[in-house]
Amino acid sequence: MQNEFNDIRIFFTKTDMTKYISHLDLMRCMGRAIRRAGIPLWYTEGYNPHLFMTFARPLSLGQESLCECVDVRLVGEMTLKEVKQRLNDALPPGITIVSVAKPVHKAMEIASADYEITLRPDDVAGLKACIEAHYAKPTITVLKKAKQGRRKIEKEVDIKPNVLSFRLEQTDDALKLFLRLTAGIDNNINPSLLLSALEEDFPEEFVQTSILKTKIYIANGEVFS
Amino acid sequence: MLSKQQEALLSKVQKPARYTGGELNSVVKDKEKVKFRYAFCFPDTYEIGMSHLGMKILYGLVNAREDAWCERVFAPGTDMEEEMRKAGVPLFALESSDPIKDFDMIAFTLQYELCYTNVLNMLDLAGLPLRSKDRTDLMPIVVGGGPCVCNPEPIADFFDIFLPGEGEEVTNELIDLFIEHKEKGSTKLEFLREAAKIEGVYVPAFYDVTYHEDGTIEAVTPKETAPAKVKKRIISDLDSTYYPDKFVVPFIEIVHDRSVAEVFRGCIRGCRFCQAGFIYRPIREKSAAVIDKQAKSLCDTSGYDEISLCSLSTSDYTQLEDLVKKLFSWALPQKINVALPSLRVDNFSEELMEELKKVRKSGLTFAPEAGTQRLRDVINKNVTEEEVMNTCAQAFKGGWTSVKLYFMMGLPTETMDDIVGMADLAQKVVNLYYQNPDRPKGKAVSVSISVASFIPKPFTPFQWEPQDTMDNLVKKQKVLLENVHTHKIQVSWHQSHTSFLEGVLARGDRKLCDVMESAYRKGCKFDSWDEHFCFENWMAAFEECGIDPTFYNNRKREFSEILPWDHLDYGVRKEFLMHENEKAHRNETTPHCRLKCSACGAAKLNGGHCDAK
Repeated sequence: MQNEFNDIRIFFTKTDMTKYISHLDLMRCMGRAIRRAGIPLWYTEGYNPHLFMTFARPLSLGQESLCECVDVRLVGEMTLKEVKQRLNDALPPGITIVSVAKPVHKAMEIASADYEITLRPDDVAGLKACIEAHYAKPTITVLKKAKQGRRKIEKEVDIKPNVLSFRLEQTDDALKLFLRLTAGIDNNINPSLLLSALEEDFPEEFVQTSILKTKIYIANGEVFS
Repeated sequence: MLSKQQEALLSKVQKPARYTGGELNSVVKDKEKVKFRYAFCFPDTYEIGMSHLGMKILYGLVNAREDAWCERVFAPGTDMEEEMRKAGVPLFALESSDPIKDFDMIAFTLQYELCYTNVLNMLDLAGLPLRSKDRTDLMPIVVGGGPCVCNPEPIADFFDIFLPGEGEEVTNELIDLFIEHKEKGSTKLEFLREAAKIEGVYVPAFYDVTYHEDGTIEAVTPKETAPAKVKKRIISDLDSTYYPDKFVVPFIEIVHDRSVAEVFRGCIRGCRFCQAGFIYRPIREKSAAVIDKQAKSLCDTSGYDEISLCSLSTSDYTQLEDLVKKLFSWALPQKINVALPSLRVDNFSEELMEELKKVRKSGLTFAPEAGTQRLRDVINKNVTEEEVMNTCAQAFKGGWTSVKLYFMMGLPTETMDDIVGMADLAQKVVNLYYQNPDRPKGKAVSVSISVASFIPKPFTPFQWEPQDTMDNLVKKQKVLLENVHTHKIQVSWHQSHTSFLEGVLARGDRKLCDVMESAYRKGCKFDSWDEHFCFENWMAAFEECGIDPTFYNNRKREFSEILPWDHLDYGVRKEFLMHENEKAHRNETTPHCRLKCSACGAAKLNGGHCDAK
């Protein structure tokens, strides 16, 4: 994507304790880090000028990610390498800049994402069988929160078509679930939905579950960048 | 780092980031390498506690020592508390996630009376006995500081030490002494005996209180090494005292989410209802150059886009215009907003107003406190109606369209005329707006009246006055509403039940300790939160202990009565307060400290020096 502004795209991780920061708080945290780092960025020119930042997709509270993304607009002379270095020095542990580059795709183009879900049930084999049985069914029906006009409703949807790929790995004390789910504005699927579908069939409470987003893609399968 | 067990709770509670620690500028040390572990507790939620400047100062101050580690602790939300109790997780500190019962010292800052039950809850959640006498080991010592310590008697049984006054110096002295005694293997009593010799250290167990048959105090007798009167500590020179160059920057939004620059301590005004105006005396200013430097450093290290000046009355700062220019010179180009709260009506200069136009407009707030000039004279709030009108006129010209007016209800000598006066004043402000030909077209004015109930507090000229009864306050609220005739005026007020309890606790004595524990056992906590406050439980606790709460707040005290806080010395002389009380009843005002020193006595704490002179 080319335009007259010096837009840059920052990819960063949000792991460990920072998974407990909500999206709104993340925006505040990033804004402050940018200010501490002294990076010359564009502010909106309204009555209350604020830092211009566009996040691609909000991450749910409690989930971790290796591929979060924010677009900002550089207004001074600074190399992208220096932007990365300075920001990394200013950010709290858990948020690390992976790359700073000119944007290639539009955020609208995001079509799918990879997730790595780690489950640590007491009965690893039992859960594995349960998940496999679940996935073998022709449909996976879940209750999804939706809006009907201004009303908030819950509706039943089949998310099987949204699961683009599925792989299960078993270790001694854990199950790892590798998923590719549709993402983006129209048919974003939160991986926690799949877990809630499981909860009905599996009696144990998943207290030590971690969900890690690892990659995002556009429709043709290219990595979003 | 949180343990697996602690982390497992987080997915079940709201705002988990309250409990994770790990914020920018939080201090993590190697616990094997420090001699002293200090839990600084704020007995309310994270969002409120993290906004408190005193905690930021003492956190930095203690952590500047190599041999000590200060960590933060807040009252967990009720959902988190429930999960912690269910899982058997004791109260832990944010930095290390270690249980605080193993710390050397647990310090609570007591900012308002209605947080007391939270203190008990936090001690219990930590796994400690509530009462000082039941904690027999040297560790942990439970310490209280903050403004409520000017009468800590209702919670005296739960604390080992109170620190009246400012903490910057005495905290370090106490830590030094503690380390010495810990290494010597002293008992708690041996340590407390030495601690009581430090100026500004109050060991409540070293005072015996006896009562007359009518419930008033007969005598307060010091024993062991305790002085007859404990003098509060102050910092003599604000320019050279410690001020943090870093704030812990929270992940979640807190109440005051910005850098704070303290400009001076004390207040020259002498409003007779205001406890802060008396207990923080004498006046000590910080120089504009030092404030400017500290403010800049804070903004650089935090990334905050706002800095707020902090004092009891910002416009009384003698170097304000110089400071504002200095701050604006670097802050505005960096898009950092400068907020000046606590500006007074009467000295809001035109030049300052011009400067302020450069920054974001906040609301315009006046605190006339009383509805008529007579009553404003009684409380020594030297603001005239004319001044309110002039400033509003100026502000309306400057584009403001909403005005907040703060009042108090239940002031000494108050009549219904004074209540009607509040509504009248608000109506006059509304009328003034529509008389301005240049008012913004199509925009209505909005005047909100916010009414607090007056609560007589220790160390004020009104410390002997009865508090208005709840019935009376409800009547007065009705009269006020009946006299408001337009939707452009909104009225809000404090709940009279919470004011009733606050009044009892503010001027209570040690007999209330049992009531406190009983109320806590009945489930009282977060009393300052409307959704948690349970008046019935409190009344049941009073009844159970055979104590009549109206003895504490609806009774007029004689000047000759021994007050529960008379053995604490806050600098301000009792004779001065009596004199002020008499003047109040004669509707006489006292000029502010810069016009004329009224010899309150506080300057003797600072070698006779006071920046108001």
